[in-house]
Amino acid sequence: MEKEMLELRIHGRGGQGIVVAAAIFAEAVFMEGYYARAFSLFGAERRGAPVTAFIRAGKSRLMPRSKVYEPDYVSIFDSTMTGSSLISGLKRGGTLLLNSPEDIQSSLINALDPEMGIKLYSVNATEIAWKHNLAIGSFPMVNTVMLGAMAKNSGLASLESLTSSIRKRVTVKLDENIAAVKEGYESVKEVGSLVN
Amino acid sequence: MAYEMLSGSQAAAAAVQRAGVDLVAAYPITPQTAIVETLANYEAKGELGGDFVSVESEYAALACCYGAAAAGARVFTATASHGLAYMHEVIHWCSGARVPVVMVNVNRAIGAPWCLDPDQGDSLSQRDTGWMQIYCSGAQEVFDTVLQAYVLSESLLLPCLVVFDGFYISHTYEAVDIPEKEKTLEFVGEKRFKPQVVPGNPVNLHGLTTGDNQILLVRNRHESMIKALDLFKQVNKKFEGYFARSYKAVDSVIPPGSKTVFVAAGSTVETIRWALPGLKDCGLIQLRMFRPYPAEELCAVLEAHDVERVIVVDRNCSIGMGGIFSQELKAALYNMENPPIVEDLLLAGGIDLTIDMLHRVLETTAEGKNADQKWGVDVR
Repeated sequence: MEKEMLELRIHGRGGQGIVVAAAIFAEAVFMEGYYARAFSLFGAERRGAPVTAFIRAGKSRLMPRSKVYEPDYVSIFDSTMTGSSLISGLKRGGTLLLNSPEDIQSSLINALDPEMGIKLYSVNATEIAWKHNLAIGSFPMVNTVMLGAMAKNSGLASLESLTSSIRKRVTVKLDENIAAVKEGYESVKEVGSLVN
Repeated sequence: MAYEMLSGSQAAAAAVQRAGVDLVAAYPITPQTAIVETLANYEAKGELGGDFVSVESEYAALACCYGAAAAGARVFTATASHGLAYMHEVIHWCSGARVPVVMVNVNRAIGAPWCLDPDQGDSLSQRDTGWMQIYCSGAQEVFDTVLQAYVLSESLLLPCLVVFDGFYISHTYEAVDIPEKEKTLEFVGEKRFKPQVVPGNPVNLHGLTTGDNQILLVRNRHESMIKALDLFKQVNKKFEGYFARSYKAVDSVIPPGSKTVFVAAGSTVETIRWALPGLKDCGLIQLRMFRPYPAEELCAVLEAHDVERVIVVDRNCSIGMGGIFSQELKAALYNMENPPIVEDLLLAGGIDLTIDMLHRVLETTAEGKNADQKWGVDVR
């Protein structure tokens, strides 16, 4: 880690495992020898409602306890979420990870200022989740796929640390989730820095 | 050190499990639910070490704890917001009856309207009930304070409320050092109190009395609680011997030359501490203990550093007066020769304290009517 502290923000919907994903990621980062914290904000808990989670990773135990307003990294778990507030505050040279096929259709990328040098990544988490039979009804559980992708392109956690945290925290479809995190890790692609 | 990645709520439950409790009676309410859930999981796995009683309300939860503590049990309950308000009558009763109850309150705004954000008005509205109140700034402190609360509470025969913010602590996962149960049990020790009721020996307790008797009981409770200021130091000395960390009722980080000091309780402490190197000539005081109120310690810190300006972060508001922590601080400063000016940053409703807000509040000087009260919404 070059900086003293990195701040990440995850956007998704209730039921997608955002809260547990943030805890798993923080635990994996901690296993790598850094300090990490994760927390989430939600209203009355309900499936489908927007949920935001915040992760901080750093060299010191001391970190702010506020929400993350200027993230180094934004990860969007739900491909139907496209409001420009999702990327608000994203730092110059920061990273944006989308759950999307490689040919990104999201209107979010139009909201990005090309001058900002945002590094854009995609992973087809919905397809991978379906492939590994990770869904509750018609609702694909993309969290472990996204975690694999986040670990790879942030460089904050290894696949081993992530897997070991998942073993502690995921109680259903463990093998499927471990396969999904690996596929997320291996299939995340840099779509390129944004230029018009 | 055996670190576990736990939320503040899970850390509270882990401490309860390692404190040797005989009985937990609790009712879930956001954002405290994970405490009850985690304790219920311990019970389901046979690891709680005591009974878990599911109750129909918060009133019943605390009444159940009161009865069990009167019978000599080490007890625990947790609540938040409306749950704490609903307990109000029994909160008084526990203190008057001198039973050692440890309760966690996770700060949340009180309606109407419904709001889940961490306004401190719930715990502060129980200020005058005769419970000790300790405000924690993170999950490790939550774990450690719950253990310490049993020693304080049983030594003084006064109940203790351990308080922390919803979401910013209750839902934040972080690394917490969880010592072996053997060691925590040894630290908390054997129960220091005798049962007030025993089977086979019926007694009528706390019957009708007069003000002439009541005043003596109130004075006795007050004098007992004041002892917590010294006891807190002793308990932390012992704690340090066991676990190599300790806490003060009033903690401070005041670099030389600081003119302004922020005073905060709860999760905002670490945000300010993180921001300090970027805030010109600023220091920080963490008010950990709120009841008893460590007035002397506070004034001594301010005096020693020649502080000119104090900005109190109040995530609450006593409507018609202002921030409660700032009112209490002003009262404590009355006997100081050269007291600093006191300004209030009001985050009532439970709004987030941002680093930008700290910079802005520093830039705005206190001039004009009511200028010593700044509302968070105006400086973010």
